[in-house]
Amino acid sequence: MRASRLLSNKFILLITIASFVFSSLNAQDLTTKQLDSAFLAHPFKDRVEAFKKSLAKKFVNFQGNDLSLFGALSFNQQTINDKAVTTPINYLYDALNTNSFKAGYTGGFRIDGIYNEKHRYSLSLAVNRVNAGSKYTNKYTLSPFIEDFTHYKADNQFTTLSIAAHYKKLLPINDMRKYKFYAVFGPSIDYKISQISKEHLINGVNNKVFINGDLGAEFDNKGYYILYAHYKLGAHLFKSNVPMQFNRFEIGMSIKAKDLF
Amino acid sequence: MKRIYTILVAVITLTIISCNKETATTQTEVMNSLLTNKNWYLDYSITGTSTKSYVGQSTYFVTYLKDGSTKDSDGLMGTYTVELINNQSQIHVQVKTANGNPLEVVYNIISVGETKLILSKVTTSTPIALYFTNK
Repeated sequence: MRASRLLSNKFILLITIASFVFSSLNAQDLTTKQLDSAFLAHPFKDRVEAFKKSLAKKFVNFQGNDLSLFGALSFNQQTINDKAVTTPINYLYDALNTNSFKAGYTGGFRIDGIYNEKHRYSLSLAVNRVNAGSKYTNKYTLSPFIEDFTHYKADNQFTTLSIAAHYKKLLPINDMRKYKFYAVFGPSIDYKISQISKEHLINGVNNKVFINGDLGAEFDNKGYYILYAHYKLGAHLFKSNVPMQFNRFEIGMSIKAKDLF
Repeated sequence: MKRIYTILVAVITLTIISCNKETATTQTEVMNSLLTNKNWYLDYSITGTSTKSYVGQSTYFVTYLKDGSTKDSDGLMGTYTVELINNQSQIHVQVKTANGNPLEVVYNIISVGETKLILSKVTTSTPIALYFTNK
């Protein structure tokens, strides 16, 4: 009985010393600045935390949500219908018309998650530097004085900000525990953020926003990185006197942010 | 929190809707940029059904400078403005003749480009179409 009481007292003493040592160790880890900060109010930080919690409560069925950074090479082409342009300006058709895809680049971040443990999705925000080949559907002539010409010159180099929401369908290819292949589709919106030239603005108002239909494939290598190829077919969101079709093919790679930083 | 969402949605909507728009001066500014600081050589003139070619010959030329002045191969100097009147683009040229008398000449712009310029001289009789190149 006496021995057990002695053991119990020793055990309590040991716990007390241990807790004191641990608390003093924790105190040593914190800098003076951090200690000061602990006593201060953090309205922004608290609000962000509250926002995160409220999001987590509201979107309880959206799980995963891994943040990744991505970069891509893009090949761009725009088809321009300048039928409604009436300004008396001539641009030589052969000098402007390059019926080809030209290379640009894209960078941004995306969130990959799963809804209801069944439906995989990705949401992305990107900045795209576009260098586009231009295909003009109409050409005019004032033979024999002027060879083929167009009335309109569209900007073929510009920058857009884009957002995309994609649905990812897991394909039953190979060993799905290691490598995952997805078919991807969904909408995206491009908004021009670069300066628009005066030539582009003639008879061509309201053409800053493109809405795209995206289709592509993705390869997930054990969660280390994702390689993807997306094709985007776009058109003006709002009615324009110069309707344009915007085609883009992207080949890129995304890596999880937590693996990078 | 609801108020923040509302403000955020309003800002995004405004940003998307607000666009660079064509202004009243956009067309004349583009035309001016194509027209100025080049020697425009007369290749053809067409009056009614009569076509005269000056290709390969020593021909009339005119220059429109960025500062709004103009001079031609006949030695006439003056000022010019590009204007849009009743949806018709025009060049209004004000020069002084050899006698020192002021003279205003109005040309309708049929087409202007990097290398080709077509003007129609507005006269009381049959208009004269003038075809210029700058090479």
